[in-house]
Amino acid sequence: MTLARKYLNAILRSRKLLIQTLLLCFALMIFTPFLMIVLRSVGRGWFGRLWLPPELTLDWYRWAVEVTNIVEITKNTLVIALLAVLMSTVIAIPTGWALGRRNIPGRELLMSILLLPRMIPPIAFALGVAQIFYRTDLINTHIGVALAHVSICAPFAILILSATFEALDERLLEASGVCGANPIRTFIHVVFPLILPGVLASMIFTFTTSYNEFTLTLMTYGKDTVTLPVRTYLAIGEGYWEVTSAMSILLIIPSIIVLFMIQRQVAPEKLVGGFKGV
Amino acid sequence: MPDYMIELRDVTKRYGDLVANDNVTLQIRRGELMTLLGPSGCGKTTALRCITGHNIPDEGRVFIDGEDVTDVPTYKRELGMVFQSFALFPHMTVFGNVEFPLMIRRMNKAERREWVMDALRMIRMEEYEDHYPRQISGGQQQRVGLARALVYRPKVLLLDEPLSNLDAKLREEMRFEIRDLIDRLGITAVYVTHDQAEALALSDRVAVRNAGHIEQVGMPDEIYDLPQTRFVADFIGLSEFLAGTLSAVHTEERTATVAVDGLEIHVPATPEMAPGRKVLFFIRPNDIELLPASQESGINVFVGVVEKKTYLGDRSDYRVRVSEGLELRVQTDGKVRFEEGENVKVHLPIPHCRVIVE
Ligand SMILES: Nc1ncnc2c1ncn2[C@@H]1O[C@H](COP(=O)(O)OP(=O)(O)O)[C@@H](O)[C@H]1O
Ligand SMILES: [Mg+2]
Repeated sequence: MTLARKYLNAILRSRKLLIQTLLLCFALMIFTPFLMIVLRSVGRGWFGRLWLPPELTLDWYRWAVEVTNIVEITKNTLVIALLAVLMSTVIAIPTGWALGRRNIPGRELLMSILLLPRMIPPIAFALGVAQIFYRTDLINTHIGVALAHVSICAPFAILILSATFEALDERLLEASGVCGANPIRTFIHVVFPLILPGVLASMIFTFTTSYNEFTLTLMTYGKDTVTLPVRTYLAIGEGYWEVTSAMSILLIIPSIIVLFMIQRQVAPEKLVGGFKGV
Repeated sequence: MPDYMIELRDVTKRYGDLVANDNVTLQIRRGELMTLLGPSGCGKTTALRCITGHNIPDEGRVFIDGEDVTDVPTYKRELGMVFQSFALFPHMTVFGNVEFPLMIRRMNKAERREWVMDALRMIRMEEYEDHYPRQISGGQQQRVGLARALVYRPKVLLLDEPLSNLDAKLREEMRFEIRDLIDRLGITAVYVTHDQAEALALSDRVAVRNAGHIEQVGMPDEIYDLPQTRFVADFIGLSEFLAGTLSAVHTEERTATVAVDGLEIHVPATPEMAPGRKVLFFIRPNDIELLPASQESGINVFVGVVEKKTYLGDRSDYRVRVSEGLELRVQTDGKVRFEEGENVKVHLPIPHCRVIVE
């Protein structure tokens, strides 16, 4: 009691301590749920009011892999995510180019229309998508689920790429031409390296969005197209929280690998440079 | 061999309703440095882009080295160009930037390295080969731009306001560096600028531009001493013109007299002069002599009163009233001293008196 009061007084006197406390609370807010999942996924007999699991085990992971057929599900998830990336990128490159490099009338309006799917409550939007898919036999196909994901992935890819293309300095392309490079070689040696970070960013963004997408998948999946987020959700319904936790952890791994790859491969200062002057 | 390295023949380029170049003809001789001088927006860059091929003229033809290149794409024109914005490739090192034109020309690696290092030595940047453009200063970036433009030994070097993004001191240094390089390489160069001092200091010839057309082409001293239009005179720093009428032409003396506000001023005669024509008379303030009132009268010597004096250190600036409606600006070196209100005589030496027949 007196300790708590002392601490409170100290906070009132020192701003630094206040900030540190807030930061700590914030970190706890983010990490505690995560920590709970990790503990749950490796704990046995962790019930009631126990602070820590009494016994550690990797059984739940074995269960997750064997019982829920996780290899197949991961394959589904990856195939769908890669299809979504491919389609979004193919759509977003020309669209982003047009929006970023040409003076298109009503450009702002177009941009906001692109974001419309995100304004509608996801479940309502997913419902609409599902109804179309039932009529067009796209339910329970990889391409169908991926297409549903594209409806939210592509707008973001377009936004990222139009900003990337807009930032591409026309004068560099002209300089390349004067140096003797034809349009194709200008693309290879100048345009491509300069837009690469933006294209990668857009691909990574669409990948993670699709990989983690739940609502749209839930409304369009079938027995052959179960994805990790949906399977995790189903596992909750089956009552195995430990297995669900293990699956959640497995779900995170690819995201971490992607993040790690970005850090290693894409040294930012190698890809983007600045000018002095104009 | 053709006489001209670059020739624009009746080139017109429009942007919508705006005529950025209106029937422009310009001939640039082999090995000379020609400057396009003019205020911002007068179409200098547009003219240069017609030479590079970034703009296709709506009318007229463009020739490089005697060959009609109007329909030849930029990358086949074998030009070197330096940009106002430097336009170095940000993802390549200094070495990579300078190597780029050679790489595009598929020169072998060893030879490339030799040529690049030669070019970098030429601009004293060989220690910076591994730096990225953003790691070096603006002046250094522009020198790299110069090396990139020159490394493959093009026939023609084009420079579009290459110094206007640099600070004043560096600008003056680099002016001479560029001139020196061009002299050493004997290359034909077209230099675009809005800075008249830069143009006069650098060029073999200057083309003064005004809103879509060329007003006058000539050597720097011709432009400076014998501007042929009011615009040119104005642009190269003459601000005061006196409107007058030609009263007589003296064929023998090769002079003419101009009546300006009651004064009869003698000027050198030119063929198009005829009595009665309206003219603009001007003389540079530092070409006027200020003499004590005791001085004898003579041709172009007028009585006046010092109205205002401004001391400028090495010079003094006077306003001298010579008649009811006429005040002349006179600049003298520091040694000549007159006071405000003092009676003086002003002498307008005939060779310095200029007239533009309207
Ligand atoms: N791509 C373009 N589209 C429309 N107008 C242009 C374009 N480029 C230049 N202009 C206009 O043409 C005129 C001449 O431009 P420019 O050649 O860049 O002049 P300068 O280089 O002498 O400053 C200016 O009024 C400019 O606004
Ligand atoms: Mg310009």
